Amino acid sequence: MRLSKVFYDGLIKENPIFVQLIGMCSVLAVTTSVVNGLGMGLAVTGVLVGSNVVISLFRKVIPDKIRIPAFIVVIATFVTIIEMFMKAYTRDLYNALGIFIPLIVVNCIILARAEAFASQNGVVASAVDGLGMGLGYTVALLILGALREVLGAGTLFDIQLFGPSFEPALIFIMPPGAFILLGILIGVFNHILKKKSKADA
Amino acid sequence: MNETVKLGLILFLITAISAGILAISNEATSIRIAEAERLADQAAKQETLPNGKTFEEMDEKLEEAIIRDNPNITEIYEGYDGDELVGYTFKMNVNGYGGDIEFMAGISTEGKIMGIKVLNHAETPGLGANSTKPYFTESFRNKPVDQEVVAEREPAGENEVQAITSATMTTDAIVEGVNTAREVYNSTLLQ
Repeated sequence: MRLSKVFYDGLIKENPIFVQLIGMCSVLAVTTSVVNGLGMGLAVTGVLVGSNVVISLFRKVIPDKIRIPAFIVVIATFVTIIEMFMKAYTRDLYNALGIFIPLIVVNCIILARAEAFASQNGVVASAVDGLGMGLGYTVALLILGALREVLGAGTLFDIQLFGPSFEPALIFIMPPGAFILLGILIGVFNHILKKKSKADA
Repeated sequence: MNETVKLGLILFLITAISAGILAISNEATSIRIAEAERLADQAAKQETLPNGKTFEEMDEKLEEAIIRDNPNITEIYEGYDGDELVGYTFKMNVNGYGGDIEFMAGISTEGKIMGIKVLNHAETPGLGANSTKPYFTESFRNKPVDQEVVAEREPAGENEVQAITSATMTTDAIVEGVNTAREVYNSTLLQ
């Protein structure tokens, strides 16, 4: 299996948000601004790469019958470590993301990759898979976060984009706006993918 | 060996290793986390009571009595400039629209509200979350403590502060909290 293909699958072809539609809860909740989306995306990527590597390393030692609890322990350990370091070094971001950091433990992307990929593939491939899936998740959060921040608050990276007369459409930073924009984005993404696969064929 | 025991042992081993790794990272970060928390707290006190240079927790018995009567207050500190007592900071926990709002209010011994700062909240983005913005918090500055604070859309009077548009519950919760702090100052702390 070529590593570039593994990476491409994670980032585009099997993008966890736009194609697989998993781990949506945190996506909808934290994308009220670009910075939050980016922070959450990188935290998930870190956990995903870490847990994929460790699970791949021990895939032959962990008995099949207890693999799920074993995976959960590994994932929870990585999440807790990241939580501690975020608390210590990026306090504002930690406060903004709040409960969604500890909840990475139950983000189904991570367990899904452990079960579907890391437990059956080598260490390097698993790390690349984690990176690709993680960045695919991050890109989705970035796009959604940027759109919601611009439309809903009139800012990007907290910088005011328009004059004082601009009236932001509040709905976009509230939950309904997240659903509406995410739906549109999924449609656009799949349209492009389909066109591309037709062109390839 | 019985398979159940074997599986249990393996799982135990995995969790034990994880616990060890967590202990190490806790060791590496706990000091830094405590320090970051202390700095954030200190900065909030400084911001809400700018003329205070050092802050000390007030007399424990009196603080306990005040908190018993006013459960919204969680912590009171005295602010000093050198040896002189210049004011108090009140940490408050009030009930907003999306849950608890934790904020700090500073009152100077000259009888003025020196500032407020929202520390933690779960208010609606773009509405109640605007309570963290200066246009709201700054409107409390220099309000006299002997009059009840009220929120208005276009504050004009000496005791009027800026109301947040479409976030009445958030505004009311914080204004009420400030009034509690004000009353405690007037009834108990003013000598």
